Amino acid sequence: MDEAGREDVAQRVLGLAGGACEAIVVDSDVGLTRFTHNAIHQNLAERDTSVRLRTIVDGRTGVAATNDLSEAGLRTVVTRAQASAGLAPRNPNAPALAENPRVAAPPGAFDATLAAVTPEQRAEIAADVFRVADAGGVWAAGYVTTERSGITLANSRGTLSSYDATTCGLNVKVNGADATGYAEFFGRALAGLDGAAVATVAVDKARAGAAPQPVEAGAWTVILEPPAFGELASYLLDHFSAQTYDEGSSFLSDGLERRYAGERVTLGDDFAHPLHAGMPFDYEGVPTRRLPLLEGGTAKNVVTDATWSKRLALPDTGHAEPAPSAAGPQARHVVVSAGEQSREALIAGTKRGLLISRFWYIRPVDRRRTIVTGMTRDGTFLIEDGKLGHGVRNMRFNQSILEALARAEFADTQALTAGYSYSIVVPAVKMEGFHFTSVADF
Amino acid sequence: MTNFDAPGARALETARVRGAQYADVRFEEGRTERVEVRNGDVVTLADETSTGYGIRAFCDGAWGFASSPDLTGAGIDLTAARAVAIAKAGASVAARRFAQAPLERYVDSFETPCETDPDTVSLGDRVALLLEAERSLHVKPEIAVGHAWIDLWRTDKTFYSTTGSRIAQALRQSGSGLAALAVGNGDAQQRTHPGDVGLYQSGGWEIVELAALRENAARIGEEAAALLTAPQCPAGTLDVILGASQVSLQIHESCGHAAELDRIMGWEANFSGTSFLDPAQLGTLRYGSDAVTIVVDNRMPRGLATAGYDDEGARSVAADIVRDGILVGFETSRDTARTIGRETSACVRAQNWQHIPMIRMCNLNLLPGNLPFEALFEDVDHGIYMESNRSWSIDDHRLNFQFGCQVGWEIVRGRRTKMVKNPTYAGVTPQFWQSCDAIADERSWTAWGTPNCGKGEPMQTGRTAQAAAPARFRNVQVGVGYN
Repeated sequence: MDEAGREDVAQRVLGLAGGACEAIVVDSDVGLTRFTHNAIHQNLAERDTSVRLRTIVDGRTGVAATNDLSEAGLRTVVTRAQASAGLAPRNPNAPALAENPRVAAPPGAFDATLAAVTPEQRAEIAADVFRVADAGGVWAAGYVTTERSGITLANSRGTLSSYDATTCGLNVKVNGADATGYAEFFGRALAGLDGAAVATVAVDKARAGAAPQPVEAGAWTVILEPPAFGELASYLLDHFSAQTYDEGSSFLSDGLERRYAGERVTLGDDFAHPLHAGMPFDYEGVPTRRLPLLEGGTAKNVVTDATWSKRLALPDTGHAEPAPSAAGPQARHVVVSAGEQSREALIAGTKRGLLISRFWYIRPVDRRRTIVTGMTRDGTFLIEDGKLGHGVRNMRFNQSILEALARAEFADTQALTAGYSYSIVVPAVKMEGFHFTSVADF
Repeated sequence: MTNFDAPGARALETARVRGAQYADVRFEEGRTERVEVRNGDVVTLADETSTGYGIRAFCDGAWGFASSPDLTGAGIDLTAARAVAIAKAGASVAARRFAQAPLERYVDSFETPCETDPDTVSLGDRVALLLEAERSLHVKPEIAVGHAWIDLWRTDKTFYSTTGSRIAQALRQSGSGLAALAVGNGDAQQRTHPGDVGLYQSGGWEIVELAALRENAARIGEEAAALLTAPQCPAGTLDVILGASQVSLQIHESCGHAAELDRIMGWEANFSGTSFLDPAQLGTLRYGSDAVTIVVDNRMPRGLATAGYDDEGARSVAADIVRDGILVGFETSRDTARTIGRETSACVRAQNWQHIPMIRMCNLNLLPGNLPFEALFEDVDHGIYMESNRSWSIDDHRLNFQFGCQVGWEIVRGRRTKMVKNPTYAGVTPQFWQSCDAIADERSWTAWGTPNCGKGEPMQTGRTAQAAAPARFRNVQVGVGYN
C-alpha cells in the first residue's frame, strides 16, 4: 500500500474514533529465499497491512490493532480501543498528544529497483552463491531477502508523517569438512546483493579455517569483525533508554557525564547515517534527534519518548516504540564511530590474538555490569606476530562489554550489521583482555 | 469461527491451474489481548486481531509460500499465483529436491480445553488483579520496578489441501506473571513468578488463576530485595538441583532444539545452527542417564503447543525422543522424516498465518520420576538449588551451554541453607543429562510454556512447552562467569 493509501486508512480511523487519538498504519512486503546444501529449501513472500489505534480519554489509554481495513474492521478497532481506554485507570502522568512537524526521510531509504524485485532475481542471487560454493567444494546455507515497507502515523492534533523504505540482506555461511566461514551484506539498495562476492569471502574463511586447532582459554587480545562486534554492542543498546537509566538497571544509572568506556569509544544514535537511512520520526510522530550517547567514553544522553521526557524533564528525543511499549524508548539507529587504522593494520599490530568473525547466542549474565556470555562461530583465527594464522576451535566467553571497551581501538571502515532484534553500524574493533572460559571440540 | 470453504477452494484451484502439483492453504483468525501493569501504572491495555492466510505450493520438488490478509477473490488468486511462482523460481535453480507432495487427507476439528472463557472475565477484573498483585511486590524500598502481566490468545485456523483435507482448530492459550526488580548495594537483581516468563499453557482464565499472582507477589519482592545482599554463589564442581522451570529451559535448549531434524539436516545452519545429533545415532547414543525419558506429546491437555494437527496438516502424535537415556527419535516434518525412513511426528508450526510452517519442538516433556521434591536434597552433601532462569546460552551445535538462574540456595549435608546470588552452571549436553540421577515425581511436574522461542528466517516466535519436575544433577561446574 502506498503513502496515499496508508494516509487514507489513518484518516478514516481517526475520523471514526474522534477525540484524542493516534493511528499508525504499517504496510510490509517481504520476500526471502533461504538455502542450504547449495539448494533453495524455504522460499516465501509475506504481505500485510495493519492499523494500530491509540486512544487517550482523560489520561486513560487504550490500544487496539487490526489488519481488517474494511469499514467494519476499522469500526471494531475503534470500539475495542475505546473500551480499553474506558476501563483503564487514569494516569495523571500520561503525556498529551502533540502536533509534530512532518519530516522527510533521509536520502537512500528507498530503492525502487529493490521494491520491484522478483523471486526469480532472488533465486539467481542464491544461484551465484551456489556456484562459488560448488567451485570451492563446500556447501552454503543462508538467505537472500528483500523488503518493501511503509509506515504512516497520524494523530488528532494534526501530525501526519510517512516513511517508505526498502531493505535487503544476504547472509552466507559456508560449511567445509571441519570449518565454517561467514559473510554478509545488509543495505537498502539491490546493487549491494552480490552473491558471488559475499560467498567468496565466506568460502575463503572456511578454507583458511580448516583443521581448527584448540587454543587455551583465558584473556586474549581480540579483533572482532563487524558482525561479531555488532552483536556484542547490541547488548548495550537498552542501557541508553531513559527507562532503564532511571530505574537503575542500566550501567548509566550512576549518572550522565561520567566516564564508562575507553576514550576512543564514541557512539550515537543517528537515523540519517547513510548506512541506516532510517525512520526520521518515532512511533509517537516526534522527529527523531541525532544525538551522541557516549563521547570519548563519557555518557552524554539517554533516549526518551513523551512519557520519559515528561517524567525526567528531559527533551523528547523521538525514540518512542509502538504503543503499548512497556520497554520504554529505544535507540534504534546506533552508530559506533570509526577509528584511524585499517582492519589490516589492527591485525598487523597484534603480537598474539584472535580474529573473530561472528558470535552466537550472546546473553546477559549480569546486566548492570554488562557481563555477557556467548560463543564464537564461523571463522576464528589465531593472530601471531601481526599475521593471520590457522583456524581456532570455538570458545565460550564471559566478558563485561564496558571493560572490554576500556582499551578498544576501532578500524577505519564501518559496516551495517543486523540480527533479528538489532541493526547497528560498527567498525571492526580490537580489544585487550577478552575473557574466554572454555574451548569447544569443534 | 469463520467458514473459509469458498476462499479455501479458490486458493487451491488457482494454485492447481497455475501449475502446483500439490497446495495447501491455512486461514487463521488470531486475537491477542494483553494487560500490563508497571509500578502502579496500567502501561498496556491492548487488543489486537489479525486475519489472513498462507498458501504452500509444491512444484517440481520445490515449495513456494505466500501469505496475505487480502480475502477478496482477486487477492486470493494473486497470492496463490505468487506461491506457485516462488516454487517454480526455486525449482529452476535447485540442484537437489527436498520435497515430496503429501498424500494424507483428514477432515476433522479440534479444540484445546478451556474451563473458563476469558471473555467472561471483565477487563476491569483483569486490571484489578494485576494492580493488586503488582502492588504486593513492593514489600521493600529496594523494589525499583514491579511488573505484572496477563496474555490471552485465541487462534481459529482452518487448513485445506488439494488432497481433500479440511481441518478446523480452535486454540486457546493464556499466560500471566510477575517480576520484581530490586536495585541497591551497587547491584540490580530480579525475581519473577511463575518461572522466568510466567505460566503459559493452553486453556482459558483458569491458567491465570493457576499462576496465583496475588499469593506469591510478596515472596517474590522479598527475595528480589534479599538478593542484593546475598553472598555470591560459590564456584566449583558441585551437585545441582534445578527447579522445574529451569529444567524446562534445559530441555528446551539442549534437547528440544538439538532434536529438530531440520536443524540436524542443516536447514538452520546459517542462523540457529546445526546439532550434535545424527540419525545414525538413533537407538545407540546415550543421551542421558536411565532416569531421562523425553517425549513429544502434542495432544496433552495443557501444553502451550497443544493442537490436533500441525500446520502442514499432519495429525498430532506422541513419540519418544529419549527413552531411558537412549536417543530414539527426532522432532520431524513430512519431508525431513522421509529422509530417515520414518513418519512425521507432526511438529510443524508457523507463528501465524503470515509465516511459513517449519519444525518446532511443540510439547516436549521430561517424564517425572518417583521421589518427592524434598527427597532430592537428602543425598546432597554440598550443592546449589537454583530457580528460575536469568541467562541462557548454548553453542550452535547445542553442546556447550552456560545457564544462569535468578536465585540459588546452598545445600549443605542434605539441607537447603542460605540464599546465594548470581548462580550459574555450565556443561556439555550428553554429559550433563547423564549426570541426572533423580527427577521429582508428578506432584511437582508442570507443563511450562515458552511463549517466545525464536527460530527461522524471517525469525518466527514459537509457542512451545516442556513439562518438567525439579531434577538433580551430580558434579556440575558451578559459578562460571563470575570466577
